[in-house]
Amino acid sequence: MSAHSPLSSVGAKQAEAYGKLGHQRPNWYLRMKSWWNDRSRWQQWLILLIVVVLAYLLPVINPPLITTEPSNDFAISCFNMALYGLVALGLNVVVGQAGLLDLGYIGFFAVGAYTASLWTSPDSPLVHIPYLWTLPLAMIVTVVFGIALGIPTLRLRGDYLAIVTLGFGEIIRLLATIVPVLKGNTGFQNVGRPPGEIDGAPIFSASNGLPWYWFTVTFIVIVMILLGNLERSRVGRAWFAIREDEDAAEIMGVPTFRFKLAAFGTGAALGGLSGALLAGQVGFVNNQKFDVPTSILFLAAVILGGQGNKLGVVIGGAIVAYVPLRFTALGGWKFLIFGIVLVLLMIFRSQGLFGKKPKLLTYTARIRRKVKKEGPPGDDEGTPPKTAPRRGGAA
Amino acid sequence: MALLEIKDLEVRYGRIKAVEEISVDVDASEIVVLIGANGAGKTTTMRAVSGLLAARTGSITFKGEDVTRLKGHQRVRKGISLVPEGRGIFPGMTVRENLDMGTYALQGKNPESEYDRVFELFPRLKEREKQMGGTMSGGEQQMLAIGRALMANPEVLLLDEPSMGLAPQFIRQIFAIIREINAQGTTVLLVEQNANQALAIADRACVLEAGRLTKTGTGRELLEDSTIRDVYLGG
Repeated sequence: MSAHSPLSSVGAKQAEAYGKLGHQRPNWYLRMKSWWNDRSRWQQWLILLIVVVLAYLLPVINPPLITTEPSNDFAISCFNMALYGLVALGLNVVVGQAGLLDLGYIGFFAVGAYTASLWTSPDSPLVHIPYLWTLPLAMIVTVVFGIALGIPTLRLRGDYLAIVTLGFGEIIRLLATIVPVLKGNTGFQNVGRPPGEIDGAPIFSASNGLPWYWFTVTFIVIVMILLGNLERSRVGRAWFAIREDEDAAEIMGVPTFRFKLAAFGTGAALGGLSGALLAGQVGFVNNQKFDVPTSILFLAAVILGGQGNKLGVVIGGAIVAYVPLRFTALGGWKFLIFGIVLVLLMIFRSQGLFGKKPKLLTYTARIRRKVKKEGPPGDDEGTPPKTAPRRGGAA
Repeated sequence: MALLEIKDLEVRYGRIKAVEEISVDVDASEIVVLIGANGAGKTTTMRAVSGLLAARTGSITFKGEDVTRLKGHQRVRKGISLVPEGRGIFPGMTVRENLDMGTYALQGKNPESEYDRVFELFPRLKEREKQMGGTMSGGEQQMLAIGRALMANPEVLLLDEPSMGLAPQFIRQIFAIIREINAQGTTVLLVEQNANQALAIADRACVLEAGRLTKTGTGRELLEDSTIRDVYLGG
């Protein structure tokens, strides 16, 4: 059955690519990967720490050539890049990990943005709560939306699911236009922001991107750590199995429907969080920001970065946000150029810039070591310890 | 009482009846074979028994418990494992990871003996432990699919056309292994087009034609049945 779904054929193709590493992957990638795998766990953490610190400092360093100024404030550009990174991280759970093609992810983003506005903007008749409370609230509300959308639609597969989610994204946008309380094009002004003032001026203001950027990057780091743990758990394995072959996953004992719903809900929550962050930074939300092209752009970020690779999709998201901000002269050409780049990418590197196979085992150390002892020598796992007692069976 | 009882099973795709009035009893440690041509409803029956398809009417009872309404993942936990048509291995996982997925239904119980059993049945899988499932040959994938299903330590193993698309020497090997698995105490329900070899290892067999069972008997009886010889065994 699942052979009919385009996604599973993507999975099969990727598998093929994984199998023939030498043919499909550029050398630099292999070299980088084996270098990385040779580092100890501590060295890996240290390197990651440096990368994270550099990421935090990016807008402060404001490197020439890379900077988006003078046309766009670099700190705010950085915030947008980080925001797209967070969105891509959320969408990656749905598309990259569970293999569910979602074209209406913008809908969750919109729900999050409107949740933040409705509970903080003076334009809203609702009870007002502090902005920071709207972040968890936005996540809860979007999870409810995600589950409400998922229960009837997740029985569909592949292209059918894609069409339904596309419809969902549009429905949310149209509701924002039609439902009076959502104020259509007029929108909500003065959406809340996190507390804190310096010399009477708010720290988190629309014109000061730096705190917003740091705030968002912090979320990215936290979410990546949490998702990393999830990926190596039974949940991650179930998602990967579903993406590979849904029927096979079911008969292995994976409650596929429940796990698809979980992926949808997790993705929705992160979309909602991102939307609430955007609403806070811009301070204004109306129905103009949540169109289909943006939704496709989110998907492009995931595919560009490499489905299933957390760090990859964050970088993918950052690139997608960065290019139009840096090259403002492109103007209307940006989508055309972007389209061509995606086509070329799919031809020459269909797994995305950083495509990779997820690590599936939690009890990693233990089981891997055991496999290493028993497995044939000279594989990519490093040198097997010579003194290790052999267990029965030929290697 | 039979280990697995299929009673008056009917499955439809929309308004089209795929199978109806299918009743098969499988006793513990038997090999029961369903033979039939393309489109006879073999795979539909297997998918319904494994829980991938819902039965419209009829019932499936396993160890005296009605499992008709249980989903596929719940039936594996009860002890019914399927080796699906076309093998259905996870192409992007290594052989080892495929086998790991096979233990998913055990929910964390230590399956060390299962690995040993599978590697003993299929030494080839041991050699290929770190190879991606999708890059193996058809025969190896079939071994992996069977091995993966065994990882859940099932009481009944459902095999859907394990000989499909395989070279003759692989087919012989697969059937020998099915017999071996059965000798180790696992009950087997096998669906096949390759009637000759399937009937040779069958304790009992049924013929499926256009969605209905038309004949039942022991493997030997059906092998010697003249009409079956004409239709399925090539005269």
